Amino acid sequence: MNRRVVITGMGAICALGHDARQVWAGMRDGRSAIGPLIGFDGQDMRVRVAAQVRDYDPIEYFDEKKLLLLDRVSQFALIAAREAVAQSGLDFDSGDLRQRTACVIGTGAGGEQTNDEASRRLYKEDNPRLHPLSIVRRMMNAPASQVSIEFGVTGPTFAVSSACASANHAFAQAFALVRSGAVDAALAGGTEACITLGVLRAWEAMRVLADDTCRPFCKQRRGLVLGEGAGMFVLEDFDHARARGAEILAEFAGAGMSADAVDIVMPSDLGAARAIRSALDDAQLNTSEIDYINAHGTGTPANDPTETRAIRKVFDEHADSLAVSSTKSVHGHALGAAGALELIAVLGALREGVLPPTANFVDPDPQCDLDYVPNVARERDVRAVLSNAFAFGGLNAVVALRRAA
Amino acid sequence: MSDDVQQTIFGIIAKESGLDPAKITMDSTLKDLEIPSLDAIQIIFEIEDHYKIQMPDRDPNFDTESVRGLVETVRKLVAEKDAAPPPATPPTV
Repeated sequence: MNRRVVITGMGAICALGHDARQVWAGMRDGRSAIGPLIGFDGQDMRVRVAAQVRDYDPIEYFDEKKLLLLDRVSQFALIAAREAVAQSGLDFDSGDLRQRTACVIGTGAGGEQTNDEASRRLYKEDNPRLHPLSIVRRMMNAPASQVSIEFGVTGPTFAVSSACASANHAFAQAFALVRSGAVDAALAGGTEACITLGVLRAWEAMRVLADDTCRPFCKQRRGLVLGEGAGMFVLEDFDHARARGAEILAEFAGAGMSADAVDIVMPSDLGAARAIRSALDDAQLNTSEIDYINAHGTGTPANDPTETRAIRKVFDEHADSLAVSSTKSVHGHALGAAGALELIAVLGALREGVLPPTANFVDPDPQCDLDYVPNVARERDVRAVLSNAFAFGGLNAVVALRRAA
Repeated sequence: MSDDVQQTIFGIIAKESGLDPAKITMDSTLKDLEIPSLDAIQIIFEIEDHYKIQMPDRDPNFDTESVRGLVETVRKLVAEKDAAPPPATPPTV
């Protein structure tokens, strides 16, 4: 049995705003939320800029007792999930929906705020006593478990971790569960709260961070800029959604996954192309039906030309009629949440017929020769889209969406 | 000029890349030596950690792609560090 799967709810929080509407508006307007790094005074950071969630007070969302249980990574997941579930109108008290709902959430780094606090106590304060809730805050499945508890959903629930492809891998798992009939609905997405001293220092040492801003695909790109946040979505069986009269945001048409199996950091165009091809096949979409690709587009010297070659390999002459953009230019690279934030971008493009631009674009790079929608949004009839995610470790996950009929 | 800095850097490059030190010359670039990027960042890390300095990152005023550039950059940064006055107040723990 292969059922049709649709998206009936979305929620997001990131540097662009604290709900999906604000996040999409920032993407569409090409308004970069990358700014000077805050919160690390006196640390002599080499990292200068980041896309941090600002003006955020967790107490507006959670009571103090609940907050004790929540690393920032779970807070973001819960905030986005509440928005997505509210929009979907799902009533978990109806029939056996609780048991028939899955929850799959990607994260690359997990509870890093908790890890940082533990390290500070152990090594700086020489204090051997860690907070008794350290484990339950930082375990990789904490966001998935917290979301399942929040809504009382009791179907298959787990975390997916594949660095920068975590969210797209999570979508692929949730999609498979709904499509197969194992469940009727799934809460799926990605979350990351990676802007901690330990994570920043580790990224500094890799020397892949830009010191100015994120400029994907252009000649002046100097690397990636870290971001944080979460995107959560309700995936639902089409018949189930239609029967209850839900608004359908888009059809989740397919997913493709691959491993480069070459290098732990350097990306491979062949591996990326295989994932793109397999997403198209899974969705039964022809290359000519794809109007827009939300690129992985990190802005590193290595990713952008490799991704360009991968798109050319799969799309051949249609590559020149495609629009490709990277919204990481405005919300940074949120690692395990990247694909989830970028699903907001492709849903916006499908629903409004507007392509979000690649912001901060200066001059074209001869190695990156596609239409990247530089700096200014563009109207276009968008029938079907892809969203790419290619992780360190050579792990690729691409999702395909179709406009709601 | 061959000195401690040069020998130390040759040693770090040889250790991290697994190359025969005899193959490394001042005129080599890391690319000529076919050193993968992951090894290159480990070389930079070992140099920084050894001298307690911070190597520039894609700064057009410094050449960190060639062996000569690395040696000269380290000499300059070490000289700057030695010339710097000590902090006015010791850092508190």
